Amino acid sequence: MSNKEYVGGTEGMKILDEFLLNIQKPSRYIGGEVGAVVKDKSKVDIRFAFCFPDTYEIGMSHLGMKILYGLKNAVPNYWCERVFMPLPDMEEEMRRRNIPLYALESLDPIKDFDFIGFTIQYELCYTSILEMLDLAGLPVLASERKELTPIVCGGGPCVCNAEPIADFFDLFFIGEGEEMNLEVMRLMEQCKKENCTKDEFLRRAAKIEGVYVPSLYDVDYNEDGTVKSITAKETAPKQVTKRIVRDIDKMYAPESFVVPFCNIVHDRAVVEVLRGCIRGCRFCQAGFIYRPFREKEKSTILHQTKCLCENTGYDEVSLSSLSTSDFRDIEGLLTDLTEYTSKNDINLSLPSLRVDRFSDEVLKKITDVRKSGLTFAPEAGTQRLRDVINKNVTEQNVLDSVKIAFEGGYTNIKLYFMLGLPTETLEDIEGIYDLAKAVIEQFYANPNRKKGRPVSVSISLSTFIPKPFTPFEFEPQLDEESIKQRQKHLISVANDKKISISWSKYDTSLLEAVLARGDRRVGKAVYAAWKKGCKLDGWDEHFDFSKWQEAFRECGLDMAFYANRQRSYDEVAPWSHINMLVSRDFLIEENKLAHKEVTTPNCREKCSNCGVSKCVGGDICRAIR
Amino acid sequence: MPSVNTRAFFSKMDRAKYISHLDLNHCIQRAMKRSRLPIWQTEGFNPHTYVAFMLPLSLGQEGVCEAMDFRLTEEISPDEVMKRLNDSLPPDIRVLRIAEPKYKNTDITTAEYRVESDVDIDKFRSFTDSEQILTEKKTKKGVSTVDLKPLISMLTIEEDAITLRLPAGNDFNINPSLLFEAYKSATGEAISRLRIVRTHIFCADGNEFI
Repeated sequence: MSNKEYVGGTEGMKILDEFLLNIQKPSRYIGGEVGAVVKDKSKVDIRFAFCFPDTYEIGMSHLGMKILYGLKNAVPNYWCERVFMPLPDMEEEMRRRNIPLYALESLDPIKDFDFIGFTIQYELCYTSILEMLDLAGLPVLASERKELTPIVCGGGPCVCNAEPIADFFDLFFIGEGEEMNLEVMRLMEQCKKENCTKDEFLRRAAKIEGVYVPSLYDVDYNEDGTVKSITAKETAPKQVTKRIVRDIDKMYAPESFVVPFCNIVHDRAVVEVLRGCIRGCRFCQAGFIYRPFREKEKSTILHQTKCLCENTGYDEVSLSSLSTSDFRDIEGLLTDLTEYTSKNDINLSLPSLRVDRFSDEVLKKITDVRKSGLTFAPEAGTQRLRDVINKNVTEQNVLDSVKIAFEGGYTNIKLYFMLGLPTETLEDIEGIYDLAKAVIEQFYANPNRKKGRPVSVSISLSTFIPKPFTPFEFEPQLDEESIKQRQKHLISVANDKKISISWSKYDTSLLEAVLARGDRRVGKAVYAAWKKGCKLDGWDEHFDFSKWQEAFRECGLDMAFYANRQRSYDEVAPWSHINMLVSRDFLIEENKLAHKEVTTPNCREKCSNCGVSKCVGGDICRAIR
Repeated sequence: MPSVNTRAFFSKMDRAKYISHLDLNHCIQRAMKRSRLPIWQTEGFNPHTYVAFMLPLSLGQEGVCEAMDFRLTEEISPDEVMKRLNDSLPPDIRVLRIAEPKYKNTDITTAEYRVESDVDIDKFRSFTDSEQILTEKKTKKGVSTVDLKPLISMLTIEEDAITLRLPAGNDFNINPSLLFEAYKSATGEAISRLRIVRTHIFCADGNEFI
């Protein structure tokens, strides 16, 4: 075993060569892929370590990372590199050999970079962030990192309530990162020239729209544990307003990807077609925080598809958005795209189709969809409850869609539902079974059904998790006992061999609910859980709930306070200094409508005045035009 | 459709040594697609670029004489083929030569390797001087014991590198790492550095595989 200090580069490679063959799938840890950007260090002024706090296979599938990677590397004197969470076999060897976390392009230790940026896609990766910082050789607490560099920053959906991880980060990017990442990097270039302190850099960064510097805010609490006030210090804005890109056709989109050597979760070209969502399902955080609705021009999408396929060599491309079938001219888009893809032996896949727009024409055009199974997400078992959550899908919509699917040769239908939705009763639970039964009946009603292959319906149950910036941010998450009782009830009524039922673990959902709506004090528990060895919490095989319970107990914090408590409309939310453009009044109004079982039309039918248009100007939201 | 059988010799070095053989296949297929060379596709339900590899290289080993065959459906100069492939391949895989295939992969009998390692040269020399070098070899049928001694057709041990020639081919192949595994278990010595580069592939008639 070499005793040399790990300095990265080609010397680092020699040290990695000593043991990498004993590691599972070593190509994940060595870079060198086609499309990986390698620059001459001596000509680079700002180095950015883009960290995904999960495995290579998951992180490399993420479109946001590819966009920001390409965008930063398009600037000649900036160099952005990729970093992922090593699995335990790799991490153990790295720690044993004193190899700090390094970036895949240069193999250089990331502690020497100017920025260490995390994309934070789900709450259960928080401990992995701490693990990565520690493995890099850095103090995990922002207050203990005194130097100007590295600045530890974060972005992604979770940072709309970043309070539980505020102690670990120097700054957060609220909203779409395309423009502000570069602005903050330019500021760093300037500050390095001027020999600024870290504090000076952060004070100046806080003036950039969308940049949230948590250390510039003080939080006070009421005696009952709720937040009393959040006060901005010095020149920091009272509220940090989410940043958006105003013209998504002119916005940077990657024309090439890093093409991995090993299989990853989504191993294909991905083209973003629209941002935002017109639907407004009341449980869905993405549906609110990614507003306003903007779609790209057909020609932009076609051009980007061609570039990506040609530059990556992928033979599969998928369209990405929250709801691709809401693209205004979906039929025209698919006609244009399939003309190109079929000529070039490329498969086109469309992951997020809504049931009510699942037309015959669309189905025919996606030639590659495998004929084994199809997934629909009615989310709730009865029309009443679907109205409560504003999932504007009727039983007839679902049945019409599965009819088309059955005629197309499918025999296995997967149905997604949530348990513990606001106002849910046992009648709604029974409705889940009724819907599954109706799907099966639909199969037998088809005279041309496949003989010999039996129909099957898989019911997949998750636990409802109330999220910030949704109309359900006030709602309690149902406690474990009630969830279990509802699961049992469904099993007892759904006694049918053609129906299988599976559900997610409650512990995981509970922790997600706690972290999603936690305040700054929850950071102490995150830290304590990490100290106890928690990491990769999103993986069943690594998740240890008992450690989390101990951590909360030791910190004097109650999970139920964060997850299972009804919050009043006038309570100060821990995230109330963050403005995601959707107004709080609108969320309250939507919450009231939910309890009245009244639906809200989608944004294309009628603007519901969510507040976004007022903030960004009426011409940006393209739901109605 | 007219087609020209083409053989590309390439190197697989440095970071590329961690690409498994299966992944190499994907990687080359995608490179071919990016190169937009007119390469013959298999026909049938799921058409794909047809590429055949001559002799798989073990994960972690490097090679400078790797070969793959494909068919071009149009006549293109070898220089152009080489340039377009190199523009499309990962930096640590380089096409070195384009040729018309002369031998078949069944003609391959031996391969030569250059090994850089931190083994004690004298200990290694006396180990390889012994009458027998018994080691276990995993095959599809299970584990069998082989004597490497008579299989090593050439061996030079020098301060900076060990060069050796071993049986190679699709029917009977001896991985050079076996010799070093045998050394480790016989002497109890540890090896922390072991860089194996395949430098030549030879055919039954004694000529280099081309």
